[in-house]
Amino acid sequence: MIWPAFKLSLLVVSFATVLISVMGTGLGFVLAKRQFRAKELCDALLTLPMVLPPTVTGYYLILLLGRHGLLGRYLYALTGWTLAFTWEAAVVAASVMALPIMVKSARAALESVDARYEMVSFSLGKGELETFFRVTLPLAFRGLMAGIVLSFARALGEFGATLMLAGNIPGKTQTMPLAIFEAFMSGEDRQAQSLALILTFTSIVTIYFTNILTRPSKSA
Amino acid sequence: MLNAKIKKEFRTNGRITFSLDASFVLRQGIGVLFGPSGSGKTTILRSIAGIAVPDEGRIELGEHVYFDSEKGINLPIQRRRIGFVFQDYLLFPHLTAAQNVAYGIGSATPKGRRDRALELLDLLGIAYASDRRPQQLSGGEQQRVALAHALGSDPVILLLDEPLSALDAATRLRLMGEIVDLQRKSKIPFLYVTHSPADAVRVGDSALILSAGRIVQEGKPTEVFNAPRDSVVARAVGSENILAGKVQDHNEREGISMIDLGGCELVTPYNALPKAAPVTIGIRSDDIIVSRQRIGQTSARNLLEGRIMHVVQDGPEVDLLTACGVNLKVRVTAGAFEALDLKPGAKVFLLIKASSCHLLS
Repeated sequence: MIWPAFKLSLLVVSFATVLISVMGTGLGFVLAKRQFRAKELCDALLTLPMVLPPTVTGYYLILLLGRHGLLGRYLYALTGWTLAFTWEAAVVAASVMALPIMVKSARAALESVDARYEMVSFSLGKGELETFFRVTLPLAFRGLMAGIVLSFARALGEFGATLMLAGNIPGKTQTMPLAIFEAFMSGEDRQAQSLALILTFTSIVTIYFTNILTRPSKSA
Repeated sequence: MLNAKIKKEFRTNGRITFSLDASFVLRQGIGVLFGPSGSGKTTILRSIAGIAVPDEGRIELGEHVYFDSEKGINLPIQRRRIGFVFQDYLLFPHLTAAQNVAYGIGSATPKGRRDRALELLDLLGIAYASDRRPQQLSGGEQQRVALAHALGSDPVILLLDEPLSALDAATRLRLMGEIVDLQRKSKIPFLYVTHSPADAVRVGDSALILSAGRIVQEGKPTEVFNAPRDSVVARAVGSENILAGKVQDHNEREGISMIDLGGCELVTPYNALPKAAPVTIGIRSDDIIVSRQRIGQTSARNLLEGRIMHVVQDGPEVDLLTACGVNLKVRVTAGAFEALDLKPGAKVFLLIKASSCHLLS
């Protein structure tokens, strides 16, 4: 029970972290550097999963992506495949739940980059894309990394939305937090304990690295 | 040649809070854009760079049209080929000095870029620091690297926004000389924004005085600063005479130095500069005593003879603009102005203590 849950968690969290990093940085960039009217509304919507009960977010995800969901029904009609109760669903649930942390961190990190650095780059003839990758990204790197580490931790601990959208199928969608719950409910205290220890250890390491990354240093 | 005509209004809650309406031409050399803060200097610079968009106007550099409100032209900043130097340097902190300079260089190969970067750093006398990060450099070194950085993309004009105001006096002095040298070597026009009269007189080939969004006077810096046309200009440039000269001689025993101002000689407190070194001297206009008759022995080391050219009345005080070999502003009270009958054309003698002649740079 421990080993499959551990493997699955690792798989789910890896995919989720990559998704979150790319999407969160992109969304954070738009929120930090672009001016548009519905900006704060967009920010609020993206932050919603952070404040909503995870089961509510999970419920909305079913409404959206379930077999009869708003988007899910087209996906099913086209491919005969549905997201619900697959390991991919766990990836989606974890990503949606952890994305707000990344968006918030990325927005803050990118906003803290003095816009005049980008202007200097433009004045030296560089385009938006080159400026982003060679100036903005390196200057915001620590803040972005901190956001990635935090959202990794959030994705790893995801429970409620995962349970709603992916279910709790051992070896298929049962991630570590779900396995702890099941082990505890069925009286298998030792298994629950081992899993809890693994997650606690991971969390400590995560906080440690986040602190190192966000600590202001003399270089960079 | 830069030819700019810029109109821009700033509004808060629909009310116009500031309006800029400036036209000017910058030919070769270093043009100084001088004015108190809030006079519109930075908006002009930002408009030329393409960061701010004027409401109306036309900006062209040689045959390149940067902006034309009538034809709807607004060239993006990337295509204007402008070098920009800031007060706080703005070097990329994650790159070394050489990498910073290489960043804007268009050469195809990394080696070509690095060679050209080292060449530029060498030109600024800072090649020794090529592998250091900006935060390992002093302010003066950073600004040298920033100059090389801005020249990296081979710009057609260099815009300098108060480039020296964060530096100490000795470094400012050295860098002013280097900026002038750099302009002569690079042969592109420099537009130099400052609110320091000493900077303006030292580096400027021409000066534009900006006040409340309008260009109120333009001309040679020493003339503009010491012969303001009216009270608006007088207020903008301040009450100090700013004179550029060369060290002529020293008398260390008496603690004085003689400065050649071109049209006349001035006795100042002793300075340790070598002979013929360029200096800028400041004399506050209310530190000068006016007399209609030649006065015999006084403790003041300078007695200059000249005429009043014109008179600018500003409230209870009157600025006399005199020609005594050089132009000098003299501020007197309205009472003294009437009692001495100080009309334009009148012959005057000016008494200036050596200690009132401050070495600005």
